[in-house]
Amino acid sequence: MATLTHYIVLSSILFGLGTIGFLTRRNALILFMCIELMLNAVNLMLVAFSNFMGDMAGQVMVFFIFAVAAAEVAVGLAILIALFRHVREVDITRFNVLKW
Amino acid sequence: MDLYFWVFASMSVLAGLFTVAAKDALPSAMGLLTVFIALASLYLHLHAPLIAIFQVAIYAGAILILVVFVIMLLMTPGERMGVIQANASYRGLGVLLGLCLIGLIAVGTKGVSDIVSMKAPPEGFGNPSIFGDLFFSNFLLHFEVVSVLLLVALIGGIYLCKKRL
Repeated sequence: MATLTHYIVLSSILFGLGTIGFLTRRNALILFMCIELMLNAVNLMLVAFSNFMGDMAGQVMVFFIFAVAAAEVAVGLAILIALFRHVREVDITRFNVLKW
Repeated sequence: MDLYFWVFASMSVLAGLFTVAAKDALPSAMGLLTVFIALASLYLHLHAPLIAIFQVAIYAGAILILVVFVIMLLMTPGERMGVIQANASYRGLGVLLGLCLIGLIAVGTKGVSDIVSMKAPPEGFGNPSIFGDLFFSNFLLHFEVVSVLLLVALIGGIYLCKKRL
């Protein structure tokens, strides 16, 4: 039987993978997908705790994370397209206008 | 019961690895889709059918489609986009930080089983009607705030897509 610890380890592995991808890749679109991966890891943790503690509030929290992720992706991709119009590139090392 | 967890857990980890390591953005998106489906299956196992449906409908259906649209919009044919960070110190630091995070959380779980009893969830747990009752009573204010957030995101998205920013 899978225990809570199994789910926590799985969730931390997924979150770590997302972190590794976010810090090592240069493609802005893949960075977005790594953020989604991290959000999903957190969702899994919330649902697992909700199940093992018998409290539905965790599932409601997951629903709010869905809404925030949707808003984040909509605005983030709009910003990315606006940037792409200027730079013609999705490589984040080229987005250096604000770099000191 | 246990086999179900191991199948979908290994599927999500492998697909997550593929998402992070794929050369192009589109295969990476397909890996992410597999992660979403595997996690939706795990939610079913965890007595959260409504969340599983939302996972497929919102994440796999809406968010990922939006990402794929943008990938297709920005990619010129034949171009390789999946470049790894050229700066080697960033790369090493990223891998080190990520592995530290995994290790830290895995070590931190040692005490968890003491805190949480492994009893079966109460009767009717995960029922969508209970979810709805909770959602529109205890979390009504949060619901309104989230609706405002979505409205602001909508307006922001429209504004950012203007021809001259």
